[in-house]
Amino acid sequence: MVDEKKDIKPKKRSTATRAAASIGPMVKEFITGTLKARAEGKQKLAYTFIVCHHDEILRAMDVVPLWTENFAGICGAKRDAERFLQRAESLGLSRSLCTYALCGIGFDQWREELGDMPPNAPWGGLARPDFMISSGQILCDPRTKWYQASQQFMPDVPIYNIDLPYPLFQRDRDHREVWDYYHKYIVKQLRGLISFLEEQTKKKMDYDRLSELVDLTDRTWNLIDETYSLRKAIPCPMGTGDAMNTMVPLCFMMATETAYNFFLDLKKELEEKIAKGEGEVENEKYRLMWGGGLPSWYALNDFNYFNSKGASFPVETTYRMVVNLNEMDIPQTNDPVEHIAWRWLGFWTFWYDKAKQRPDSEPDVERLINWIEEYKIDGIVMHEAFSCRTWHVGLLWQLHQLSKIYKPIPIFEIGKDGEKRKVYRELPSLVLESDIIDITSYSEVDTRNKIDAFIETLESIRLNRAN
Amino acid sequence: MELYFAGIDIGSTMTKVVILKDGIITSIIGPTGPEHKRLANKVMEDALKKSNLTLDEIAYIVATGYGRINVPFSDKQITEITCHAKGVKYLFPKARTIIDIGGQDVKGIKIDGNGRVNDFVMNDKCAAGTGRFIEVIAHTLGIELSDVGDISLKSRNPSTISNICTIWAQQEVAASLAEGIPVSDILAGIHRSLADRIVRLISRLKIEDEIIVTGGGAKNKGLIYAISGLLDRELRVPNEPLITGALGAALMGKEILERSIKSNIPIEKRKRILEEVEV
Amino acid sequence: MNYHKNNIFEEIFRLYRDYGSRVKRLNEEGKKIIGYVCSFVPLEIIHASGCIPFRIRGDLNEPVTKADSILEPIICPYYRSCFELCLKERYNFLSGIVIPHACDSMVRSYSVWSYSLPYSYFHFVNVPTVCGESSFEFFNSELKTFIKSLERFLNTKITEDDLRRAIRIYNMNRDLIKNIYEFRKTSPPLISGTELIMTLIVGCSLPVEEANQLFDEVIKELKIRKSSPLRKGPRILIDGPCLDNIELIKLVEDLGGNVVADTICYGTRDQFPMTDETKNPIEALAERYLDKLNCPKTYRENKAGSFEGDIANRFWDIGKYAKQFNVDGAILYIYKYCDPFGFEVPARKAYYNSINVPLLHIEDIYSSGTIGQLRTRIQAFLEMIE
Repeated sequence: MVDEKKDIKPKKRSTATRAAASIGPMVKEFITGTLKARAEGKQKLAYTFIVCHHDEILRAMDVVPLWTENFAGICGAKRDAERFLQRAESLGLSRSLCTYALCGIGFDQWREELGDMPPNAPWGGLARPDFMISSGQILCDPRTKWYQASQQFMPDVPIYNIDLPYPLFQRDRDHREVWDYYHKYIVKQLRGLISFLEEQTKKKMDYDRLSELVDLTDRTWNLIDETYSLRKAIPCPMGTGDAMNTMVPLCFMMATETAYNFFLDLKKELEEKIAKGEGEVENEKYRLMWGGGLPSWYALNDFNYFNSKGASFPVETTYRMVVNLNEMDIPQTNDPVEHIAWRWLGFWTFWYDKAKQRPDSEPDVERLINWIEEYKIDGIVMHEAFSCRTWHVGLLWQLHQLSKIYKPIPIFEIGKDGEKRKVYRELPSLVLESDIIDITSYSEVDTRNKIDAFIETLESIRLNRAN
Repeated sequence: MELYFAGIDIGSTMTKVVILKDGIITSIIGPTGPEHKRLANKVMEDALKKSNLTLDEIAYIVATGYGRINVPFSDKQITEITCHAKGVKYLFPKARTIIDIGGQDVKGIKIDGNGRVNDFVMNDKCAAGTGRFIEVIAHTLGIELSDVGDISLKSRNPSTISNICTIWAQQEVAASLAEGIPVSDILAGIHRSLADRIVRLISRLKIEDEIIVTGGGAKNKGLIYAISGLLDRELRVPNEPLITGALGAALMGKEILERSIKSNIPIEKRKRILEEVEV
Repeated sequence: MNYHKNNIFEEIFRLYRDYGSRVKRLNEEGKKIIGYVCSFVPLEIIHASGCIPFRIRGDLNEPVTKADSILEPIICPYYRSCFELCLKERYNFLSGIVIPHACDSMVRSYSVWSYSLPYSYFHFVNVPTVCGESSFEFFNSELKTFIKSLERFLNTKITEDDLRRAIRIYNMNRDLIKNIYEFRKTSPPLISGTELIMTLIVGCSLPVEEANQLFDEVIKELKIRKSSPLRKGPRILIDGPCLDNIELIKLVEDLGGNVVADTICYGTRDQFPMTDETKNPIEALAERYLDKLNCPKTYRENKAGSFEGDIANRFWDIGKYAKQFNVDGAILYIYKYCDPFGFEVPARKAYYNSINVPLLHIEDIYSSGTIGQLRTRIQAFLEMIE
């Protein structure tokens, strides 16, 4: 197995906010906490996935979540994923599959075979769970198959798979015609999760506590939305690079006071920066949107590279997994589980109505257009990670459709008659290619060349913009 | 019974012929050539000449390798997997795992106590895990292919080549040279990278001793050293690592004929013509 | 339709080669053709609406060029080929396409398909991932939504009787196919794997009544066959997803294998489960497509409590058919980028091991260019199990 501890360590990444800088130690503490909990044996530990809207349920039952995607991301960021990926391959799994899952399954098999953590496991390793909670959610097959595959090596660890569908966007349909039975199903699935947890923990769900946590989550969602909206300021005080850190409390600590307080602090910090006119970039020339794709966890330095060229990232679609509850048009209910289910449906169908109002638009495209305008965006960057169909299939088409229906940049053009006229063109876009944690797919030289070329395009448009 | 058997292994770069009686009479290696229709029969002719035999005196001829289909002078074609297994078992009775490193592909073969294949893996989709990788890099460095292994063994501080793609690795090598990194270190890194790819492939098998390495790659001491290090196991290499396929093919021919005699079921044989092989 | 009685397989080959020619003609005569992919689309519902369901195929020899500019190459290569052919107007006779929730490749490219292709009707059938009681309740409602959408599109009503009739005729279709499979049990089989898969592929391109007629003719022919078209060789089971062409099976048989069994989408996975005619039609269809259809995409809870028990439950069909058809070896043929099957490889391997059936695992892309590599692997495998 290749020893990945490189002679040349990647340069330490700098963040725009103090809040983002505090994340590294926060995650480490979290991992250490899980190992401690495992050793003490008082709480139950569960492998699970982020953004399943089940955080409140887990927290209410005092279950410690082991975020397996997070652990794989850590391996990737530390550039120590390859040995686990190879382990998975040796079992017969294809490298073309989700590399988070490969890393996880490889790690699990190794840990179970040794009866102990693999040598030098990142930050002490991933604790053995008491049970595993899957959720394919219609958009991710690995989330249904991953734990099932790991269960081969942990046959005594049961799985509960929460089915969480949502109606796909269909232009000539109204999703509200169907979402009653979707809601009914989701509620039953969540109640099934609660029963499963009650059985596993031998405790009953405290519905008052659950209601409190649901309320806290709603408030946290609204707070995050307000906080991130501050990035509309010019210059932008915080970029996607930082957001790839602040996604930690958003995705891994939802339904906790810690998460809420984190965003209170972040909001304050951003307000201070805006008051001082302090941006992510000192001389902000280009405002970019990260239009889609999970980041390359081993190459987050590339955001600093963008910064060094005068580019900031006021907004991203990745991990922006909240919508202001007040903007969501969902039925009101006092039952916390029913509310979670409505919130789920409300989130995933949020852009449907707006998309129908614009000819040829589509929810993801509509979101891009809205945010381009709200955040004053000059260009879009997409990242295609080869092992993830869930978040990457469709990005090319979104750019294609966006350029078809949305041309906001006025430039002067010399027509055939020699006359100068104003035409409108689409936003420039850049597509980067590599993976989430498989570093062998990444070429720094290649990536930076692409970024340079893109910056040149942005500069050319900036200079030739007709106003 | 004084019977002669022949095996011909038509690889992408080299064609090998082995003529067998009780032991190996003759083995010949010649280039396959750009179109293998031209040279397979030439290699066969050379082998016959060297052993003073005519085509008809060979009781059974088996063709194997990439170009095994439509060999007009063979009696049967069998894959190189089965043939390598047979050939290696003959030379190394305790062999259980075979790693064949060819110019354009890499194979891992598991055999049981009787020399029968019970599992195999192949990678023929990409240059990165094959001998081609070393060839390209040697060319980039301006070094003879036959020297790369020895030079790499001189390294005290192997560099790490992170890119597996041959094209990107070339870029990395060029960059490393510019930085003043010694050629031996670069080569050691390259060998480790290739070894890593190979180990990745064969890890899908349950690797057991004795492990035998065959093919052109087996002649590269640097590569053997790197693979041995990654597996943390001893490897064995035949004196002539290129002929195990052809040897196994000849042995298969012997087996087929003996089986037919024992069971009294005549084997189908077609007319053999010692002429150019059709692609 | 009258088939030349002596040349039924020649007729089938013609329909395979000119795939879609029959429904193209029917469309010209005024019939509406609805395209679909995958096993999870309830064909009975399309049939009950008065339209003809038509299974979309890819083409191994058609390079993917148009699709690449708007669809990432990291999706199922077979599905991508289907999209490519739609873009190249191979299926212009379609009035619409129905896509089920079977895998990420389908779900994530649904918008791309529905915005890029010129058909008037698109529908997504949201098949649940898990298989619990509430899942059937949900799926029942989804099927009703599907029915309503067809009714709206066609300005018609689909009655319970229409559904019952459709269920009946599709069950007949499956009975006929099971009948044909019986001829695989002899040694060597009276129908080759190549002939069978070709027949089944063609069957999916015809109106079900005509497919039934075709299968009748095939059975008649097989009954009078005196000898096998194959020489006796190792009996092989093919396991995997949608194999919509004869290439792989033909290669195995050219190399001396006898393909006598399968658990692939065009084969037993799709064709063997029956719809319960005693139940309410929608409930019966929900049960058939969600529970009876055995596909990796459907998550089955581990009720056995052990790995061995779990795989015996999940892969019961492999075990059953391996035994019934007396197989000597199996080939697990999977496309690159396939999550549902890809994640199951270690478990499937362990299962084959537990039933002592040697296994060759192949990962392929969808292209005629890989035949050379497949040849060596398959031949080596056949040599191994001889």
